[in-house]
Amino acid sequence: MTDHAPSSRPELDAERRSERRAQAWWLWKGPALVWLALIVLFAISLGSAYLPLGDGNIAANLLIAAVMIVLLVTFLMDLQNATVIVRLIAGAGLFWLIFMFSLTFNDYLSRYY
Amino acid sequence: MSDTAGALQHPWPNLRLQREGVGLGMWMFLASEVLFFGGLFVSYAVYRSFNEEAFRIAGEHTEIVYGTINTVLLLTSSLTMTVALRAATANMRDLTLACLAVTAALGVAFLICKGLEYREDLKEHLFPDPHFPLSPPATQMFWGFYWIMTGIHAVHLTGGIAIVLVVLVLFKRRVIPVQGSTMEGVAIYWHFVDSVWLVLYPLLYLAGRS
Repeated sequence: MTDHAPSSRPELDAERRSERRAQAWWLWKGPALVWLALIVLFAISLGSAYLPLGDGNIAANLLIAAVMIVLLVTFLMDLQNATVIVRLIAGAGLFWLIFMFSLTFNDYLSRYY
Repeated sequence: MSDTAGALQHPWPNLRLQREGVGLGMWMFLASEVLFFGGLFVSYAVYRSFNEEAFRIAGEHTEIVYGTINTVLLLTSSLTMTVALRAATANMRDLTLACLAVTAALGVAFLICKGLEYREDLKEHLFPDPHFPLSPPATQMFWGFYWIMTGIHAVHLTGGIAIVLVVLVLFKRRVIPVQGSTMEGVAIYWHFVDSVWLVLYPLLYLAGRS
């Protein structure tokens, strides 16, 4: 909605104000919910780091980080509404990252010396 | 008053396609950035897999309070950046400018916090050199990663803040219209810098807390 100059007709002003309130609610609601979810997940990750889970600590922390990134990319970076070509490009980054990890660890984890 | 006409650039037939074009270009750049940071992450993973105990000992010495505050600051800046983009798309100029200013301020707050944290780290002499205070020697590898990873992230964030401020001034002076495609690229980049931090945080601050 565009910015309007104040009108001489009060009923129109009231209508615009309520329209703007509705629009402000629409603007903030979705992102604020995602933000809240991110903060809660972050708190869980932080809290779990102090539990004696052994190797489970880093696994839990990275899993939660992955969920947070999926939320951020899907809703805040709006990949949910992106075109197929944009999703493919975003997926390509992840695809080659997986290759980098799997090829590197294919070597290191299979060494017996 | 809508300034859509000024926002549309050659050769795009409409603003929707123009925004998609900017988004596509930014995602391509970010896909290459994923591999840039991926190189650091895979090196960290390799060294950590061989020096688990050393990384645990070294990880206890990072300043978790600063790291935690900074995570909340960045997550909140992603919220204000998303609202700025939505407001820009709806051509709500004032809200766009306000949200951009808050986003840049949160980014600066992050850097100040980081600076204070670096000061504490330097006081404790936590950088790899012959007088490094921790043992075994592999703890220095962790701190090498700490400085490189957080340093490169801070450079990215500084770039992001500079871009946000430049765009803010251009919007304010009406050099470019808020409803154009500029915000699309700025927002996606900002969120990416945030998401890199979400990986750095557990690797550097949560290692060795239990």
